[in-house]
Amino acid sequence: MAGLERLKRRLVSEVVRENVETLHGLPFRPLPPSRTRRVRLGLLRGLSLVAAPTLLFLAVSALSTDRAERAGIAPRAALSGPTTLPAPRAISPAAFPLAVRKIVVDPGHGGTDPGAPASGGLWEKDITLDVAQRLRMLLGEAGFDVVMTRERDETVSLRERAQLANFQRGDLFVSIHFNSLPTRSYRGIETYHLGPTADPQVERLAGAENRASGYSLADFRRLLEGVYVHVRQTESKQLAEAVHQGLVETLVKGNPAIRDSGVKPAPFLVLVATEMPGILAEVSYLSNDEDARLLKDPAYRQEIARALFQGIRAYADARSRPGGQGSV
Amino acid sequence: MTKKNEALRVGIDLGTSRSSISASSGARHVVESYVGWPVDTVARKVVKKSILFGREALDNRSMLELHRPLERGLIKEGSEKDEAAVRELLRHLISLVGGADDSRVFAVVGVPAEALRVSRQHLRNAVKGIADALMIVSEPFAVAYGMDALLHTMIVDIGAGTTDFCVMNGRYPTEDEQRTLTHAGDWLDEQLATMVRTRQPDAQFSIHMVREWKERWGFVGEPKGPVVVTVQVAGKPTPLDITAEMRRACEALLPPIAETMLDLLARVEPEYQERVRNNVILAGGGSQIPGLGDALEKMLLDVGGGKVRTVDDPVFAGSNGSLALALDASDADWEQLPS
Ligand SMILES: [Zn+2]
Repeated sequence: MAGLERLKRRLVSEVVRENVETLHGLPFRPLPPSRTRRVRLGLLRGLSLVAAPTLLFLAVSALSTDRAERAGIAPRAALSGPTTLPAPRAISPAAFPLAVRKIVVDPGHGGTDPGAPASGGLWEKDITLDVAQRLRMLLGEAGFDVVMTRERDETVSLRERAQLANFQRGDLFVSIHFNSLPTRSYRGIETYHLGPTADPQVERLAGAENRASGYSLADFRRLLEGVYVHVRQTESKQLAEAVHQGLVETLVKGNPAIRDSGVKPAPFLVLVATEMPGILAEVSYLSNDEDARLLKDPAYRQEIARALFQGIRAYADARSRPGGQGSV
Repeated sequence: MTKKNEALRVGIDLGTSRSSISASSGARHVVESYVGWPVDTVARKVVKKSILFGREALDNRSMLELHRPLERGLIKEGSEKDEAAVRELLRHLISLVGGADDSRVFAVVGVPAEALRVSRQHLRNAVKGIADALMIVSEPFAVAYGMDALLHTMIVDIGAGTTDFCVMNGRYPTEDEQRTLTHAGDWLDEQLATMVRTRQPDAQFSIHMVREWKERWGFVGEPKGPVVVTVQVAGKPTPLDITAEMRRACEALLPPIAETMLDLLARVEPEYQERVRNNVILAGGGSQIPGLGDALEKMLLDVGGGKVRTVDDPVFAGSNGSLALALDASDADWEQLPS
């Protein structure tokens, strides 16, 4: 029993140390990943008699969790460490040659935050939700796991959205929005990934979309510090390019007046705070009468969902192709 | 500082469904994890209180802004009311064991593993000031500690919002030794509600009723008898046999739990895997579903067999474990952890 007492003493001191570290705002100590990999391979060998499907599932789920965990280390450390931030480290995307399985779909706005007004009593929040539900269906049919940040007309802060995405350990984060401009004639499609911007137009938009965040300015600065050199930026840009291409091909085809405004970096809060590659698509302009008219048509909203879906699938296919490191 | 030796030590299990407290004085209490504030002055006059807890809050919910902290296993960040709900609930629990008076209180609070992972800093801030000194630990770890199950053991804590797993390898579990699933009590309730609604679209019932059905009649495997509940159909109380639905809903928990158990087992050093398989402990409210442990044992047969046992006292297993930690920590340890 002396052994048990010793063990308990050690555990208590570990618990105390961990709590003291939290109290002083220190980050987590991440695990060395090599040990688990060795052990797991050992077990997989030992389990060769197990029915093949179980084994396969075990291998797949172990790998994907591993990926999520490893990809999550850097931002999490940044999140929990307001006083001593570790120096950000670039991680090669080649370290994660794994499939995309779980997609977090984020219908912009909702509840008391209606977003931009559309004509005919509609709001941005209604259209984002409708498109998101259609997208969910398409992704689900194609075998992806889908997590929605909201399922109905409810208020969900950006902070909660990001938290849910991180909690669910999504592989990709796709936020759906519709833009609005005083220049009502303007029509265009923009797809954003996380990054700094010097464009005042983009800053204005980020400001509008970042309202109702639940974050303080200090939180925001802290989040930003750890983030820009991370692998997510590259990954997110590739995802943005794939989705944007899908949107442009589908929507501009029938409506040549819609301008391809390109893929741009912007500091949207939901993209900063999520731990996975993510994008924010401003699919079209509610301030434009023609776009607003089109958006009232369910068939058009289905086209948008399909365009988003095709972009996501193109990205996912490129990620899981052997040797294909995300060149979409 | 003169009364240091008399500090009351308490262990708290802050659960998504129920929260319990065990104190060094021997007092123990459990409340449902609901906190409610009257919606307006009229409501306040009716309920005659400025804040209500547990069953009382639930019973008066039409007059309250009702909060269930740690729903989905997380503290809803950015929501001041939810943070206040966590704080008030803890304060209430401590007052139940007589800790609000003059003695100092040292508290160990067990929370769902994922809440700790995602928002430990935030949790710490949210519970500031509820005790004189405070430690936060993951709930399955507290259960393991309380049972001296510290070596080659797997804890599966089936709560309301989350099912938490942890493998004890003689150290404070790392992230790699823990998992959290949202397949838990609430999820089961939703499955069951959907199935019943599909069977009888006109039936009227609330999710709280579904939860009570599950707690009374939930089962895995062969039914011991029919499960017949009473629902309102067209305003009339109507009996409804939900035996098949109950079984399907409860058994839906099995695959995700078994998969996660296997995934965690795969990470244990091969020479210890058999010992861990034979040392699986089910805790939390969900562990009370008859037949669940047997079904999981059956699933372990695929990987060489194992033993699954259920904690004796699911309501207090977590808070007792936290109390054990609170008692084992020295005054010097507590000095470092002002709340
Ligand atoms: Zn928007």
